Amino acid sequence: MLKIAAYHSPTTLAEAATLLAEEGRTVIAGGTDLLVNPRYMVGVREVVDIRRLELNFIVEEQGWLRIGAGATMRTVAQHARVQGLANGILARSAAVCGSPNIRNMATLAGNVASALPSADTPPALLALNAQVILVGIQGERLIPLDSFFVGPARSVREREIIRELRIPLASSDGLRGGFYKIGRTAEDISMVNAAATLKIKDGRIMAARLVLGAVAPIPLRVVQAEEALMGQPATEETFQRVSEIVRDEVRPISDQRASAAYRRSMSGIAATRALRQAAGLAPHGEEWRHA
Amino acid sequence: MPELDIALKVNGRAVKWRVEPGETLLEALHAHYLRGTKLICGTGDCCGCGAILDGNSINACCMLAAQADGRELLTIEGLTEDGKLHPIQEAFAEEGAAQCGFCTPGFIMRAYAFLREHPRPTEAEVRAALAGNICRCTGYVKPVAAVLRAAEMMRVDREEVSHE
Repeated sequence: MLKIAAYHSPTTLAEAATLLAEEGRTVIAGGTDLLVNPRYMVGVREVVDIRRLELNFIVEEQGWLRIGAGATMRTVAQHARVQGLANGILARSAAVCGSPNIRNMATLAGNVASALPSADTPPALLALNAQVILVGIQGERLIPLDSFFVGPARSVREREIIRELRIPLASSDGLRGGFYKIGRTAEDISMVNAAATLKIKDGRIMAARLVLGAVAPIPLRVVQAEEALMGQPATEETFQRVSEIVRDEVRPISDQRASAAYRRSMSGIAATRALRQAAGLAPHGEEWRHA
Repeated sequence: MPELDIALKVNGRAVKWRVEPGETLLEALHAHYLRGTKLICGTGDCCGCGAILDGNSINACCMLAAQADGRELLTIEGLTEDGKLHPIQEAFAEEGAAQCGFCTPGFIMRAYAFLREHPRPTEAEVRAALAGNICRCTGYVKPVAAVLRAAEMMRVDREEVSHE
């Protein structure tokens, strides 16, 4: 039995924001992090359930793909539009997050809200240049995911609800993606994961985003590697060179899942494999292996 | 602590339960004498507390009972019909797909949700579907065989129905 004094189930966003404005209250959606990880219950006395706010949408609207806070990992993983975006990297990262039962409960927005550096979907969302819409008592604000994460389990989110995540579709046109997870099994938390998106014109890289998970206090955009990719030919040689930069830039820790040295070494491998997928160079069999 | 009243359907029966705000769905099941759904890890990692909520397989340990208000739940107790075992239960018994048996309800409920969507699964699909269910006796070969066998039994059942 968890020490929760009250359960609120508002039906409007305004009501939810008002409830959340009070200290000692937190948001619950899927509950799969909140209820099992004591770090999220520190100082929490009451929970505000957002499942009745009708936020389980995934819609394409005015150049954005909008994913509501209620959309489960499974819904995201199986959604045709998400599967079609940059080789489906977001759908694929959602499909390897936890077990089938967890994916039926956990939400994509919850994975972002938990702000764990080892989370599976934030690297893909960052590679897709996603934005977060936060709603609080003061109104709503739009934050690029790039500046959302602050540290392990810490983000810029104050007493706010993530209403939705947004992916710009105009800049995603012709965008190619790659995602690679290294874990003991696909169900386990990542030891290292990587997501990449590339725009390639006449064999040269015109735009690049490369994000590594579980190798720093936050999901890490490796900006130096992105710069090194610009204007270069989309070849194995380029990717090998960039993987060296990745290995230098990551700041991993040792824990029960992997040592810092192993993570550093694997960060280069994961980055190379994600980039190969994005460039269409992944050898047969490497595209979908996540163990 | 203020209690809440929730109304839901459990194994086909409409029930009204009084629960506490911090009570998990699994704790509420146990409090109402539905103890086939097991508490094993309690952290959502083993799927031992698997049940079906509105058609989807979930872990009852990591959601609040209050969140089940207005919804429809199926547990291992609800699989038998008129005292007759469900084909998945029968297949698990016939294949000997249990050692200590504690994780078995979770496997069976996960298989139930999976087979409804994949009536003709391959072995690889069954393995992927059961990947989150952990058995500490380390017996995975027989549960996989049982699910494949159950799929066949359920296909035969359906064909018989359609010929009647």
